[in-house]
Parts: sequence; C-alpha cells; structure tokens
Amino acid sequence: MSQQTTEVPEELARLAQERDFPLDLVRRALALGFSPGAVRAQLLRGISPQEAEEFLAQQERLRAGEEVEVPEEITQMARKRRWPAGLVQRALTAGFRLSEVRAMLEAGLRFDQAERLVIIRERSQERQREGGEGRQRRTELPWMNVRTEWGVRVRPGKKGLTLGSLNVGTYGDVPDYWPYQTEMPRGAYHNPGAPPMGYTIYEKAELWADNAADLYEEAIQRQWKPATAIPWDDIAALPEVQERALAQLCTYLCQNALVCSDVIGRWLKEMSYGYHEVKVYMATAGFDYARHFDVFRKRAYLNGIGMGRQSPGYYLRVIKDARRWTEASTLLFIFNSSYVLHLCQVGYYTAASEGDALIFRLAMQDLARQTAYGVKHLQYFLMRKPENREEVHTCLQRAESLFAYEDDKDPTLQEALIVLLGGGLTEEELKRGWALLNYFRRRWLRDYLRRLEAAGLPERRDRLFPYLRQWAPAPAAAR
Amino acid sequence: MAQETTTIRATFPSLEWFQALKDIVNGQEAYRRIGTCDTTMGIKIPDLQKYYVVTFEAFEVADVREATEDEVEDCDFWLEAPYARWKEMLQNIRANGKADLHHTLNTLDLEDPEGFARSHDGLRRDAFYRFNQSLQFFFDASAAIDTVFVQ
Repeated sequence: MSQQTTEVPEELARLAQERDFPLDLVRRALALGFSPGAVRAQLLRGISPQEAEEFLAQQERLRAGEEVEVPEEITQMARKRRWPAGLVQRALTAGFRLSEVRAMLEAGLRFDQAERLVIIRERSQERQREGGEGRQRRTELPWMNVRTEWGVRVRPGKKGLTLGSLNVGTYGDVPDYWPYQTEMPRGAYHNPGAPPMGYTIYEKAELWADNAADLYEEAIQRQWKPATAIPWDDIAALPEVQERALAQLCTYLCQNALVCSDVIGRWLKEMSYGYHEVKVYMATAGFDYARHFDVFRKRAYLNGIGMGRQSPGYYLRVIKDARRWTEASTLLFIFNSSYVLHLCQVGYYTAASEGDALIFRLAMQDLARQTAYGVKHLQYFLMRKPENREEVHTCLQRAESLFAYEDDKDPTLQEALIVLLGGGLTEEELKRGWALLNYFRRRWLRDYLRRLEAAGLPERRDRLFPYLRQWAPAPAAAR
Repeated sequence: MAQETTTIRATFPSLEWFQALKDIVNGQEAYRRIGTCDTTMGIKIPDLQKYYVVTFEAFEVADVREATEDEVEDCDFWLEAPYARWKEMLQNIRANGKADLHHTLNTLDLEDPEGFARSHDGLRRDAFYRFNQSLQFFFDASAAIDTVFVQ
C-alpha cells in the first residue's frame, strides 16, 4: 500500500487539522499499517510532528529491511542487563520508540520480561496489518483466535526445561477452585461443547502440594530400571532360613506396592485438570509402586525361594477405603511410606551383597519422595482447612489401630524380620533379632511422628494409638 | 563406580579437601546420570569443632564452604559423627574404591540410634534418603584423594 494512495478518514483528517499536525505524517502512518484508531490515539496524546517523523522514519527504514542505528549507550545498557543481542532492534521493529526501550532498561526489566512486551506489541502490529483477508482467515480458523496467553517464552535452566518453569504469566496462576468439569488443560481456552468428565476434586486445598512439580521432575530424573540397574548375578543366596525370611519380606512389599498402586489409580481419575502438577506426579508415584512390585518379586524368586505367605492387609484396606484424597494421601504417603521405609531399612541393614543393598536403597529413595508429597500436601490442607484437623486424627487412628491388630494377630512378617535381623533360628539369634526389630521400630515411630510434625500435626505424638506407644519417643509432656 | 587415578593430596577435614571432592564429582558423567540432586548437607565433626556445608544443585555440587554450627543445623540435614568415625569411613572408601556395606552412609545412619543424618525437620531430613545414591557417590569419589588425616 503506497503513501500516495492511502486515504485518510475524514474524522482523522479533521483532528489532524485541529492539532496542526501535517496530514502527510498521518498518511505515512496509515501506509505503514497503523490503524486509524492508533493514529487518532497518538494525536490525542499530543505527539509532536517531530516525534512522529522520527518514529515513522525509523519504521520505514525497518520495513525496508534496514537496521535502525542504536545509540551506544543503549547497547551498553542492554548488555549490562544481559539482554540477548538483537532484542533492542526487535523492540524497535515492533514499534517501540528508543525512549521506551531506554525506559525498560532503566526500570531493570529482565530480557524475558522485555521480550514478552515485545511479543505483545508484535502481535498487535500483526493484527493491525492484517486486512480483510486476515480477518477472513481467522474467522475460518477460530482456534487461531482463542483468548489464551500467547507469546509466553520459557527457557531451560540448570535442570533443563522443567514442568515448574512453565508456570509463568497466567499459566502460573493455579486457582483455588477449578471451574471446569472437562478434561481441559489449565491455560487452554474452554470449549463450551465439551461434556463433563466426572472428576470430583476441584479444590486446590484438597490435593495441592507446593513441591509437586519438582517431585515430578525428580522422579523422572532419578528413575531406575530393576531389570538392569541391579547386579542380579552378584547376589549370592543367603543361608536358606534367611533367604526364606527375605522372600517373605519381599512378598509383603510386593503386596503393599500393588495396593498403593491401586489407591493412586483410583484417585488419579478424580483429580481435575486444573492441578496437573499433582496429577503427573501421581503418575510417577504409581510407576514407582509398579517398580517396587517388580524388583521385590524378582528378589524373592532370585535364589529359588519364590513368594511367601499373603499378609491379611487389614490396615491397607483403610487406605483403599478412604473417602477423601487427603485422607488417602496421609495414610499412603506418611503412615504407610514411613512403615515401608523402615522395612527397607531392615532390608538394607541385613543385606549381605551390594545388589541387595542397592535394591533397598533405591526403593527408599522413591518412598522418601512420596513422603515429601504427603507431608507438603497435609501441611497445605491443614493451613487452609484447620477445621478438618480432627478428621485427619480420626483417619490416622483407624490406620494405626488396624495396623496394631494385624501386627498382633498375624506375626508372619514380624517373625521374618526377626529371623533376618538375628541371622538365624537359634535362641540367641532370635533374641538378637527381637531386640533389633524393636530398635528399628523405634526409629520408624520417631520418623513417622517427625514427618507429621513437619506437616503441622505435632500433637499426634501424644495421641498415638496405645499399641504403637511401646516404640514411640516419650510424649512431649514427659520429655 | 570406577575411580580416577589419584592425583590430589588433601587434608581431612579442610575446605581444600571438600573442594577437591567437589571438583572430582563435577567432572564425572556418572554423577549426572544418577539424576538431579537438590539439597544442602551439613558436615559436623563435633570433637574437632569443624563444620562444612555442601550444596547440591541440579546435576552438580554447586558449593562447599566452611560454616558455623548454626549454619550446619540450618541445612536440610547434617551428617554428624566423631572424627574417628569419619576417618574410618574415609579410610574404608580409600581402601576399597568405595564404601563397603559396613561403611555406607545408610549403614552408619542405621547403626547410630541418633542417626548419622540428622535434622530439625522431619521433611527436610528425608532428603538424605531421596538423594542417597548421589550422596554416596559424593563420598565414594574421595577414593581418588590421597587423604591426609589431621590425627
């Protein structure tokens, strides 16, 4: 579109005349693609002909493919602020005046912040330039015209491009309530025709943990493969009694892992899409449990023993029966993970080979990550819903009491642990095993209560189910 | 873990010793392959009143520095043992190329009723388990240092 043929709308021409503003400059602005509205706004703002001339000349040079000369002072400032080379030129091309670029630098804008402003201006320029043809195209392709935040850029950091680093701009806004019942990812544009999907958790307090995105990254970065990570060939058979005891421990751990995996599967589909950090982290936790099932099953088979006796699993049923995710999470990731971690400690302590030690060390790594979610979620929940504190105690009481019942009625696992820790079946060995089991259980209760304390539930120490108190540290009042 | 040929001589405990360890670990691709490790670990040798802080970040050991006892107790967790225990662990690592099963961080922790790894916070202490593989690699790498002990 040439300047000569550009028509100036009558109203705009009248305004320019009133302001004593050369009509030629208005024509040049319109020829460059600026809308009459934008030109009108500049006239009303009181732009001087000199300012306009400078800006239009700059734009004309840029459109002709020439570069605008950037004063050395601005170049130095940009370098000092670590703006990438070319960003100043790009800002000018997008229509910023030099004085505006200088103001951005003086205000201390980081390059990514400045770039976002440039992108917004570029998009606005594009829209202005698009004539009827462009508008027609966008009518035909409505998905190109959704009101999501475009122009967001993220850059890899020390850990690469992480899930958490995507939470910038409006994408970092994790709402307290998620209003959509569909499978719409957070940040996307709602499609009014999409049917509801039947999720039941729409409230942030019911599932959120501030560390979920980081834990997801940690889980996928530190994943391991049972088939090849463990030096299976180097794990020699233990004396038969101990090998049997280890197989029994492995059987318990397999069963426990499968139940935990079921619990996650049952709740994952309840979590709405507004909180994807938790959903994807839970996917990794489910995978962790699959891996634990796999590795402990392999270990049980390795030296010719195989699976042992099933556990009655009374307290695991409490976790399965939970009616609220916070309840399930607290039991799964704090109560149960603390317990299984202590079983893995026994496994590690009694390991006679590096392979066995590695199995338990890697399993502990995964379990500790899960406690990190459990603790942070409970902390978040209790901060926002202090009125539900007693409810948390009730669910812990149920799990602790059923654990006590199971531990008392079915000594299978306890006996296996005693044999493992004592090193055999003689009276002396069994005595030693019993003493060590109590030692490990004291550590378990100490760590379990410390995790609850970190989550904001320190009074659990004084309210522990009586059976468990035999291994617990003295109540706070008595210390 | 295959260790490099010894080229460094340093005194334990000292900042130079931890600095040497940091450089060795950061030069090993095997450490990166374990995965990201983000934690601050304190080192406490009470009978020598020596304290250090080691910062692990992403795929590297980002920093080692001498610290006060308070700073160490402000870490995610700290490793605490008398000097003789530290010496035994490091001598074992040096002799075997890595810790044997009786001298791993986990074993030392499990054998101590108070724990080798300690923290004022039950959540932050779990970093010891979460990143145990990386932490063990860190200390195992000391096999490549010709360590001179102060006592």
